[in-house]
Amino acid sequence: MEPIMNSKQRVRAAVDRKSPDRIPIDFGSSFITGMHCSVVAGLRQHYGLEDTPVKVCEPYQMLGLIEEDLQQALGIDVQPIFPQRTIFGFPNENWKPWRTPWGQEVLVSEHFHAKADAKGDTYIHPKGDRSAPPSGHMPKTGYFFDTIERRDPNFDEDHLSLEDNLEEFALMNEEEADYWRQQAAQFRQCDRAISVHLNGTCLGDIALVPAPFLTHPKGVRGVADWYMTVASEPDFVMELFDRQTDIAVRNMQRLYDIAGDVIDVVVVCGTDFGTQASLFCGVPTVREIWLPRYQRINDWIHRNTHWRTFKHSCGAIEPLIDTFVDAGFDILNPVQCSAAGMDPNGLKAKYGDRITFWGGGVNTQETLPFGTPEQVRAEVLQRCEVFGSGGGFVFNAIHNVQALTPIKKCGGHD
Amino acid sequence: MEPKLNELSEAIKAGRRKEAKLATEELLAAGVAPEEVMSALSAGMDDVGRRFKANEIFVPEVLVAARAMQTSMNLLEPVLLSVGSEPEHTVVIGTVEGDLHDIGKNLVAMMVKAANFKVVDLGTNVSPDAFIAALREHRAAVIGLSALLTTTMPAMRRTVELIRESGVAVKVMVGGAPITQQFAQEIGADGYAPDAASAVDEAKRLIARTAA
Repeated sequence: MEPIMNSKQRVRAAVDRKSPDRIPIDFGSSFITGMHCSVVAGLRQHYGLEDTPVKVCEPYQMLGLIEEDLQQALGIDVQPIFPQRTIFGFPNENWKPWRTPWGQEVLVSEHFHAKADAKGDTYIHPKGDRSAPPSGHMPKTGYFFDTIERRDPNFDEDHLSLEDNLEEFALMNEEEADYWRQQAAQFRQCDRAISVHLNGTCLGDIALVPAPFLTHPKGVRGVADWYMTVASEPDFVMELFDRQTDIAVRNMQRLYDIAGDVIDVVVVCGTDFGTQASLFCGVPTVREIWLPRYQRINDWIHRNTHWRTFKHSCGAIEPLIDTFVDAGFDILNPVQCSAAGMDPNGLKAKYGDRITFWGGGVNTQETLPFGTPEQVRAEVLQRCEVFGSGGGFVFNAIHNVQALTPIKKCGGHD
Repeated sequence: MEPKLNELSEAIKAGRRKEAKLATEELLAAGVAPEEVMSALSAGMDDVGRRFKANEIFVPEVLVAARAMQTSMNLLEPVLLSVGSEPEHTVVIGTVEGDLHDIGKNLVAMMVKAANFKVVDLGTNVSPDAFIAALREHRAAVIGLSALLTTTMPAMRRTVELIRESGVAVKVMVGGAPITQQFAQEIGADGYAPDAASAVDEAKRLIARTAA
């Protein structure tokens, strides 16, 4: 039977909680719904696609670009336009070969400068600047980078400076504006839904706090230091978020002017509020520090655009879903069903009429890497049944599909 | 000095490091036994652990409490050593090879230290050989292995296997985001803790079981 909707219509219907002709599928539309480059290579082989090295579209988590032929093989409905610069601060351009520590031949940006030490650990430099201290570290037996906390020797936790933590937030420059013009032209006729990461709307995302894209970051840059600042200096954090939001709103206007008509979904914030068993921050803290700034961002988007807003938070965040709804988010990701209180039936019944679930399709910590193909299939079908009824569901695994995931369990959809 | 000891406990509970430092200085200057000061610290962190387990407070509040405790411990530890007061049991702790994450592991280390264990923290990305060498050197009663990543769970399994093969007598407890009770059993660990406060209970339980 011919599909009734194209991908863009399908995703928009699902996100707006109207019934699409089938459940839309996403893999690779963002840096939190992607696949490790080793899995992308395996899938290309599984589907008999051209034997070319995978492009690493996101070098921090070593995510692989899912190109048109694999998108078609997987029936993917969402097309990304990635930020102009990677998390390590360089543009992905002029691809060059690189051999990963696990022996995979991949393609990386010409600005990707990584070097292994005597132990076999790999270090990468911000902005491709080898004169700056490395900002990412991949252990010899690792499959992606972690950020290196580079503490400013002059950092004084008793005298915090907003400017230090605002260095990375600036108005869109002409180079970036040109990039968006070119991307918008390329994808204006695309019939997939277009997803983008907004620039500067992530409030306190712990992956970004160490600023792996800056050559010499100042201010609060340690992960533990950041969490402690939230607890001990809430006024500082709120003012920082206000200033950051001021800049982000102006950048959203600029992006809208250039590419507003092309974009369907915007990833606003990836700050994780949950652990496996509980919350990172109490609900009152999130409502005081985050909620008003999220409202400002989402209100601007809903007043001025047709975009739908996407909030990512791992973990046991059920007590915060009302807050995310109050903040104006349309979409929740990754819906970590294995965390405490995140039972799919309960989530759909309680929140299914107010927020769309983008994720929750299969557990990438347990079922997908360690279960049998039959267990994977059963879980996927059950999640589609629960989350898919009446729309409000975009199928995606729970966060990026991890390295070492056996391919026969990723490719078996029908 | 009872009020000052209470003041120290309260400063720990609220994560006020400067007050904790001041109270510790005053208590030690007044000649209060360092063990008593340590008890006040432990009482503070015990309360923090209880409220953390009950979801009344969260990671940021625990971290500031742990920082206040460490500020106090920096003053207290040399005094405890000088009077020959050392913890009875040692716990070796670290994040397994290939994994660079340490927030959870650091919280466990601080909580266990506050419960008056000697803690040997080997950091992150620790090879099985380094764990085994530390166990031999420090004659630890318990080892705590942490992993945040699905991809480093096999390294945790391998580390437990090699510890067993080495013949070192030690109780192994494991934890971290993807780790479950079932996985802990599967890889032959003696204990599992879902959070830092529970890790203290688990370490005590494992030691009591060894003694029994």
